[in-house]
Amino acid sequence: MGKTMIHKIIERSAGREVKVGDRVWCKIDLSTARDFGGANCVLQFLDVTDRKGKVWDPSKIAFTFDLQAPAHSEKVAVNQKIIRDFAKDQGIEKVFDINWGIGQHVLLEHGHVKPGDVILGTDSHMNLLGAVGAFATGVGNTDIVASWFEGTNWFRVPETMKVTVTGRFAKGVCMRDLLTKIVGDLGADGMFFKAVEFGGETIEAASLADRITLCSMVTEMSGKVGLIMPNGEVLNWLVERAGEEVRDRVKALAADADAVYSDDLHFDVNRLEPMTSCPDAPDNVKRVRDVAGTAVDQVHIGSCSNGRFEDIEAAYKVLEAGRFKVSPKVRTIITPSTREVMRKCAAAGYIEKFLDAGIVFTNPTCSLCTAEHYGVLPSGDVGVSTTNRNFIGKVGKGSHTYLMSPMSAMATAVRGVITDPRDILG
Amino acid sequence: MKITGKVWKYGDDVNTDVIFPGKYTYTIKERSEMAKVALEDLDPEFTQNAKAGDIIVGGKNWGCGSSREQAVSCLKERGIGAIIAKSFARIYYRNCFNEGLPIIISPDAVEAIEAGDEVTVDFDSGKVVTARGEFPFPPYPDFVKGLIEDGGLIPHVKKSLGLK
Repeated sequence: MGKTMIHKIIERSAGREVKVGDRVWCKIDLSTARDFGGANCVLQFLDVTDRKGKVWDPSKIAFTFDLQAPAHSEKVAVNQKIIRDFAKDQGIEKVFDINWGIGQHVLLEHGHVKPGDVILGTDSHMNLLGAVGAFATGVGNTDIVASWFEGTNWFRVPETMKVTVTGRFAKGVCMRDLLTKIVGDLGADGMFFKAVEFGGETIEAASLADRITLCSMVTEMSGKVGLIMPNGEVLNWLVERAGEEVRDRVKALAADADAVYSDDLHFDVNRLEPMTSCPDAPDNVKRVRDVAGTAVDQVHIGSCSNGRFEDIEAAYKVLEAGRFKVSPKVRTIITPSTREVMRKCAAAGYIEKFLDAGIVFTNPTCSLCTAEHYGVLPSGDVGVSTTNRNFIGKVGKGSHTYLMSPMSAMATAVRGVITDPRDILG
Repeated sequence: MKITGKVWKYGDDVNTDVIFPGKYTYTIKERSEMAKVALEDLDPEFTQNAKAGDIIVGGKNWGCGSSREQAVSCLKERGIGAIIAKSFARIYYRNCFNEGLPIIISPDAVEAIEAGDEVTVDFDSGKVVTARGEFPFPPYPDFVKGLIEDGGLIPHVKKSLGLK
């Protein structure tokens, strides 16, 4: 009987054969924490080791400052200092301070993520690293701290759902729209505790940015991790960053042809339309044109789901078609996911055009993923965002958010009301 | 072990943002402070009136969303005796064991129990006992039981390393 990707990844990490449903100890390749969660982890580790503990391997721990970078309050500044001091004491060099951007993306760009790696993080969207075949997962502080003792933690070997995607996106439609459709079809627990393998011609031709979008939203269906083994340009990109070993890992960890799946789903994107998650849940899904005309106070483009250069470029093209002007009724904010993405936006000349159009272009961060960051919405406001959650109160008590693609978000910014991007792109 | 308490009942897909609001995630570190804002955006009455020993009953996928462990800590610190739900989101499930907050998976009990009921969770017999009937629940997996017997994940790891 053949094995799925997650099955092979866990066997590699556990160093023994496993079967679905087993709970096994795995070796952790990278244990990460972000600015705030990191401070809690540090304080807990110091507490449970009487302040004498040494982490198992400083080279396998990373801290990323992405949620509140730069610090906007003294409390946050103190949290960040706790992490910097701890990293210095322990000899942890992978500290990506306030200038770098969103953790998973920064780690990926720096070549710290390979297919088959088992990675922990205090971010529920850590699993977007499945976009390059890594088993990354979000956990709480205690799971992170436990891993710092000997570089291990336990996992249940999950069932795997297979999702095959065929067809080509029409103009104005993209991977985010497919994801929104899948979330709507399957619901908030539609991938409950499962690993997911995305395949088919549409995925094989997809950019890394699109793969990240797809894998980041597995969390919104309560999945464990969405996996895609790198191929083509994505493989070359990763080899350049993370080394030749990547090629061997891809060969060793690809699913067997006779692997057994718990579910086998198929989506065709040829006739897909722009989709949106309406307030106040990601799985409250409609077509953008069904809510077109809804007045909006703020548009935000960014996040670990849709903050790559390709996402911002897609938004730029809609702005261009809208004659480089956004509606004065709407506050529009664009946040690149990393410094590398920001530099590419600058080199392409996009930032100047965004600024001239009246858009706020920020430093790379998670930005509007929480109500404790700039861009928070006041009660009564309606927002549009390319982030991954629109739970009630998430970015401001009494506000409501529609989630959609960067193209739909920019079309909305141009017109000042929710707009199908095809109306602008023609 | 038996836990008896008054029920606070909620629906499906209750996410960690409403259990412990994100705006506090980055500013509150004291557990006693966490307890004071638990469920503030979902049920202000709970935030005002929940007492130690009370029991939360939720629908499916309780605790979905952000990985924040505070969404468990705040309820544990508030003295919540147990959470009974149809199912738990995976990160929340781990966090509950790591924080020592008992969780029970029993769709039948959730269907039967109403807000304000007094219910008893009997861990020895593996039953939720209510005036509306008794509902057996499955035991924790052996692997998880082993972690609980050692006092939790960190004590288990320390034990395996021979650390005190």
